[in-house]
Amino acid sequence: MSTNGAPVPPPQPSLLKSTALSNGTVPPSVFTLPQTAQLEALYTIIRDKDTSRGDFLFYSDRIIRLLVEEGLNHLPVVKKTVITPTGSTYAGVGFEGKICGVSILRAGEAMEAGLREVCRSVRIGKILIQRDEETTQPKLFYSKFPQDIAKRYVLLLDPMLATGGSAIKAVDVLMENGVPEDRIIFINLISSPEGLRTFSEKFPRLKVITGWIDQGLNEKAYIIPGLGDFGERRYCE
Amino acid sequence: MSQTVQSAGDGSEGDTFLWPSMSQLLLREELDDSQRASVSLKAQKNTLLISHGRPPWYGPDGKCISDAFVIGVGGGSASGKVANSKILFNIYSVGSSDSCRTANSESLGFNSDGSYPLTSQRKLSLSFDWLVTGFTIQDSFYKYHSPEEIELAFDSKFDFDHPDAIDMPMFASCLADLKACRQTNIPVYSFAEHQRLQETKYAYGATVIIAEGIMALHDPALRSLYDLKVFVQCDSDLMLARRITRDVKERGRSLEGILEQYLRYVKPSYDNFVRPTAAFADIIVPGQNNSVAIELISTHTRRQLQERSNSFRPKMVTSSLHAPSLVNEPLENDPNLMILPSTPQLEGIFTILRSKDTNNQDFIFFTDRLSTLLVEHALQFLPYAPLTVTTPLGVGSHGKKLISKYLCGVSILRSGSVLERGFRRVINNVPVGTLLIQSNSMDGEPLLLHLKLPVSVRHRSSAEETWVILLDAQIGTGAAAFMSIRILLEHGVKQDHIIFVTFLVARTGGITTLRRAFPHVRIVCGSVDNEMREGWLEGDRGEGNEDGVGRKIWVMNPGMGQIGDRYYL
Repeated sequence: MSTNGAPVPPPQPSLLKSTALSNGTVPPSVFTLPQTAQLEALYTIIRDKDTSRGDFLFYSDRIIRLLVEEGLNHLPVVKKTVITPTGSTYAGVGFEGKICGVSILRAGEAMEAGLREVCRSVRIGKILIQRDEETTQPKLFYSKFPQDIAKRYVLLLDPMLATGGSAIKAVDVLMENGVPEDRIIFINLISSPEGLRTFSEKFPRLKVITGWIDQGLNEKAYIIPGLGDFGERRYCE
Repeated sequence: MSQTVQSAGDGSEGDTFLWPSMSQLLLREELDDSQRASVSLKAQKNTLLISHGRPPWYGPDGKCISDAFVIGVGGGSASGKVANSKILFNIYSVGSSDSCRTANSESLGFNSDGSYPLTSQRKLSLSFDWLVTGFTIQDSFYKYHSPEEIELAFDSKFDFDHPDAIDMPMFASCLADLKACRQTNIPVYSFAEHQRLQETKYAYGATVIIAEGIMALHDPALRSLYDLKVFVQCDSDLMLARRITRDVKERGRSLEGILEQYLRYVKPSYDNFVRPTAAFADIIVPGQNNSVAIELISTHTRRQLQERSNSFRPKMVTSSLHAPSLVNEPLENDPNLMILPSTPQLEGIFTILRSKDTNNQDFIFFTDRLSTLLVEHALQFLPYAPLTVTTPLGVGSHGKKLISKYLCGVSILRSGSVLERGFRRVINNVPVGTLLIQSNSMDGEPLLLHLKLPVSVRHRSSAEETWVILLDAQIGTGAAAFMSIRILLEHGVKQDHIIFVTFLVARTGGITTLRRAFPHVRIVCGSVDNEMREGWLEGDRGEGNEDGVGRKIWVMNPGMGQIGDRYYL
């Protein structure tokens, strides 16, 4: 991480677009977190099959918080001047626009706590998407959104982007509810290169914040090396 | 002992701990829990006990200016060493109250009634006494005994009065540590088990140390550490008379037993080892009617201390040194000062925190969010090593692992603790120590009022491998930052193992001095403010400032206001 003792300044989050995929480059709408040794260490903990549930919760929450912080950086701000306690003026910025979270059940719910730590009392919608056994296509089973979701920026939460099937379905549902594509920010912890490519080709104006881009998918469409089933580890094991 | 005992903190806690001080030369000492139980201070709310803090003891270069002053007091058993030491202590206390700084006996380990907490076997001991000092508990330095020796000890057949019974090298090394302003961990000896225990007692920060014991002047290594050597001379018959009285009355022992022990061990030891050490003493004090001698010693010591004080006073880090410079430091080029990368969200958070109209709830929420980001950012400067793990899918994954052997946080109270929630969100399983550093209401100088450091820092060997994340809300004059880094270094923590996490740094403030003194300490901050502006702080009525005189302070501009007040009040 450091050369001759002096630490390398961390990469600027939103500028880091050049992380090479194993077979190609990251689509322009995809943003990753700064790939520091520290972040790598966090992922190493949650990837390890022997990590206890308590540690899995704590360290995945830390990553989620960083992801949400990064996601929020893609929301617009407006210039705002305030008076400081010393009486001088400070030219800063104010947050603009309402937001809401939408989690894809069930694993996406695991990201809500992290979201609420960063965005206090944010509204959170839910979507349940399951694979239809007959068509093998993802199918919407349930959705519940804030009424004014069409006027809000949406942070779509799902920890793993594998094939991208359910995420694409979720975005379809959101757009049917009137949310414009460029007002959706999809946040996940780990993506497969295949899934990212499929997803961002379909929605080029939708920003994707991902913590780590893995090697690929195995024959069962699990992310390799991945971390197993996120929802299972978070809730059931 | 002290006329106006007040306390910092909210008063309900028993661990508010105070140091007495003498002029500029101060002392302090960490009590363990059992001793703290005997501390009976009447604490009040929201009071700052300024006269009991430790002002800076280091120069602008970050180096310690002066060693501690060490007095060795030797003499026979029951000769009156303790009494002399107690009188000396009282004289120092009274003397120091002249300058509005009163020593406080409780904090030095005396019982709350001022009596000396004697252990029944202290006659056998070589000990530090804690006059105006950090002390090391008595009887500590007996050697670790073999099972055979323990058996002898239980039969009263072990010669505890022989110099060989005492671990002189360890005594000397502990004393040398204290003298050099380092922490030390003094062994604890159990008379019930006749054995040195596993536990040790942490001591740090004494400025005057009194080493008292029958063998105090015996060992050349020890003698070389003393700045003043005192021998308490007393007739053997008088010592025996005192001993009989004490042992019969206080310890319920039989006359025969006392005499047998006296003749077998105490008397030969005195004749062979103790009395000859009088030759090494700078001054020999009679064991009774010695007020003149005590007066001489205390006058001498005080003059010595004053001379040291006078000589290092001009070199000390004073408030003037911490006054803002006119130079605009190009902090952005400093490789060890990391400013959090500016993002829209960060800008927005700072806008909310800087606004004077932000309500309490929002201030707390966004402070927590900011501190979380800062600590996350700081952690990338810890050491990592490659690690391969197996994922639940059975696939190997090459990653990294934190390899710091010890990691802890230390927050500088009060405003450093506003970063603690963020710290805990990021690091949930490490100790967090505290340093209470407040400004003297008269001259604004930093005063160390209390310290409670994580265990890994208390021991020198582990401190050298400990990474410390220091938390404080801002670096303005840098006085508190300077002092806290100095304390960690004295404990053996390496400069490049210290990461200072703070919201704001003032470009024209004490950061320059701080960087120059401690160039390898990493500082992680949220933003750099360009200006230090002169302000006025209304004085709090209190000890040393009865009239509530206000004083000039430096405030950061635009700043975030009084961060601690906005977060807590």
